Amino acid sequence: MSSGAAPPDGIVVRMRQITKIFPGTVAVNRVDLDIRAGEIHGVVGENGAGKSTLMRVLAGLYPDYTGDIEIGGQVVRLTNPRQARELGVALVHQELSLVPELTVADNIFLGREPYARIPGLISRSAAEAQARGLLRDIGIHLNPAAKVDRLSVAERQLVEIAKGVSLNPRVLILDEPTSSLTYQEIRELFRVIRGLAAKGTAIVYISHKLDEVFAVADRVTVLRDGHRVATAPIMEWTEAGLIQAMVGRDLSTLFPRSEVEVRDVRLEVRHLGRRGAFRHISFQVRGGEVVGLYGLIGSGRSEVAEAIYGLTPADEGEILVDGMSVLIRTPRDAISHGIAMTPEDRRLRGLVSMLSLRTNLSLRALRLLSRLGFVDQSRERAEVDRMIHALGIRTVSQTTEVANLSGGTQQKVVIGRWLMVPPKVLILDEPTRGIDVGAKAEVHAIIDGLAGDGLAVLLISSELPEILGMSDRILVMKNGTLGDEFSRREATEERIMAVAAGLTVAGKA
Amino acid sequence: MNEREVWSRAGAAGGGEEGEPGAAAVRRVSLATALRDYGIYFALVVLVIYFSLAVPQFRTTDNALLILLQVSTIGIIAIGMTFTILTAGIDLSVGSLLAVAGMFSGVFAQKDPTTLNVFLALALPIFIGLLGGMINGLVIAGAGVNPLIVTLGTLTAFRGFIVWYRVNPIYDLQPYYRIIGQGSIGPVPIPVIILLLMTVAAYIILNYTRYGRYVYVVGGNPEAARAAGINVPLMIFSVYVISGFCVGLSALIFTSRLMAAQAISGQDFNLQAIAAAVVGGASLFGGRGKITNTIVGALIMGVLFNGLVMLNVPAPIQQMIIGVIIIAAVWLDGILRQRRH
Repeated sequence: MSSGAAPPDGIVVRMRQITKIFPGTVAVNRVDLDIRAGEIHGVVGENGAGKSTLMRVLAGLYPDYTGDIEIGGQVVRLTNPRQARELGVALVHQELSLVPELTVADNIFLGREPYARIPGLISRSAAEAQARGLLRDIGIHLNPAAKVDRLSVAERQLVEIAKGVSLNPRVLILDEPTSSLTYQEIRELFRVIRGLAAKGTAIVYISHKLDEVFAVADRVTVLRDGHRVATAPIMEWTEAGLIQAMVGRDLSTLFPRSEVEVRDVRLEVRHLGRRGAFRHISFQVRGGEVVGLYGLIGSGRSEVAEAIYGLTPADEGEILVDGMSVLIRTPRDAISHGIAMTPEDRRLRGLVSMLSLRTNLSLRALRLLSRLGFVDQSRERAEVDRMIHALGIRTVSQTTEVANLSGGTQQKVVIGRWLMVPPKVLILDEPTRGIDVGAKAEVHAIIDGLAGDGLAVLLISSELPEILGMSDRILVMKNGTLGDEFSRREATEERIMAVAAGLTVAGKA
Repeated sequence: MNEREVWSRAGAAGGGEEGEPGAAAVRRVSLATALRDYGIYFALVVLVIYFSLAVPQFRTTDNALLILLQVSTIGIIAIGMTFTILTAGIDLSVGSLLAVAGMFSGVFAQKDPTTLNVFLALALPIFIGLLGGMINGLVIAGAGVNPLIVTLGTLTAFRGFIVWYRVNPIYDLQPYYRIIGQGSIGPVPIPVIILLLMTVAAYIILNYTRYGRYVYVVGGNPEAARAAGINVPLMIFSVYVISGFCVGLSALIFTSRLMAAQAISGQDFNLQAIAAAVVGGASLFGGRGKITNTIVGALIMGVLFNGLVMLNVPAPIQQMIIGVIIIAAVWLDGILRQRRH
């Protein structure tokens, strides 16, 4: 399993007419793709466009594909992941697959541990020495003897990559590698993969985030509905062009924020603080207003939201709703004061995935939909139906399990639950994370409409374009404090990042 | 009505109340779902037909009523067990708690039938069941200790307590006490009627009330439940109280039917009740399960036991067969579930 010399044309992987069918859908439909040695090849597309499926075919995970694959000039029929690995294809998984109890070195060489001199035993010192060399070569500063459960998510991601690189692959596939990384960590990751590409490894970079693709990719392939739409060098793409290729329609109205008359202050926090997380947080959100709360991971922005909602209560400061000071120790308290919040992780804290769409949507309203403890089922059906239409939720029926819905639809269910009983204040934590471009625009339209109805919206997002496009005002957090505030007019990506990343440049004009 | 039931009912009828598209794919999914949800009924019918053909005395009304009578004790406990399992919990202490509740019932059922003694003989087991459930619930929900560990502890502790309290059985119970376990209304034994009423009550609670909905939500995703403003610890506490109540009721029936209170009663009732629930398709991870299926699960175990006895299968072999069937049922359920996704 070594990266043999690349063929003269530099193409290490040639895929022709690749098709993969799942029951009911053609996930990948006659796709051609060439991957060249030393290039960083961005693969983009909406959720369900087939990008991960295509790459999983290449990694040998779907033996029942049709089409031809050449690796290193040799025609191969991929039947299992081990074979693909030996041919030089390494896939770094979307979900982290490390064993937390083991060390960095143990994880990198999992299943391929170097043997000790005594037969049957493995050599930890040899593994650590090899891992140290590997990490140094690719420029990752980690202690190979450290236990993985002590590492941050970003560091684990780097271990995953090191694990892939340790196979000495011709092609390294990274599937959404930055979904949980901060700005600096992403830059660190980019440095590492650029270094690998410079040494001749082909990198396939699957991502949702177009700015990353523009920052790192040499060529970009766009997939849509299982088809390849286009492949071109990054120089030939514009962001708008890429989006249009992905969704097949013009999304010039990606952030359709309309002018709204701002009303009275609905939510106010004064000197809010929680030990070790954030301090001295004061701001107001008015009815009809969308206030963006931006900060890098670890800046305390989600913690502030969780304090307002009572998930992890604040230990100092004051929360006011409609000018009245309220005590919020649990989500129940927050709900009773008209505060609603959609969580950052919708599967962990939002959805009950094995239950029906109806149960998930009506959960918040159940108290109002029942009499003497009995649920009025016909009213429930009617109300759920109303919400399905209001938010454009696409589903076969109200009884579909939410696990079977797409990410965008699931997000609408989480938002819809809170709209069943109209709140005064709605906190949205990463409302468009992991959902495709089309659904994103729909969620943005919903947020815009809610503000139009006079709701006070606090929007947390780690995507700057979203914050800039949706917010009337933008609060920027840094190291647990409120760094600065910008109006819609004066905010730019550079200024916000300068505050968030703690640079000395810029600030307010 | 539970959402999954609506879904499968719609599927079984081949058309939906919410106007599902008539696409073949959808119908296929519904068929698989129907098989998954009703496979257990099918299994019960097959067993009954088999034993009816194999053993003539199996297919008598008396035997049918006998099976129901035998199932009623475990069935009632399994109802409470289903509540705990739906919240991703478990109650291993049911058998020991049954012995405690039954013993105190027996103590007063032995005494002269004054109003007070009769009242205590009938009410005390229920009260003790509730108390035992509260102890479990308080430690599990209040202190946050794993339910498996807590009820494993109380399984031992309750048993130790009752053996210490009174190791000798009480046999000479007053004749009136007989009525609950051995009486009947028309041809139907009273325990069977109680089981039926409990099943209907549990069905209504789980499918038509807000409380029941919350049980599923808390079991399906406790984090989401908390974020949605549900009082999760209170919900968890409550299911163990329900389980305790069922145990108390079952203890009364059991002691009355045997006309004996014994400290060693109910030794493997926890396993039988859990088996009924999981054979009925309840997920030990919570959020998935139906009360009707639990009862059918209990009936399958009852029919098997009864039929195998009639076929003169030796007791150790019976145990082996039932063990294999529990595993096979859960395995099959998993396969049917996977096929759907």
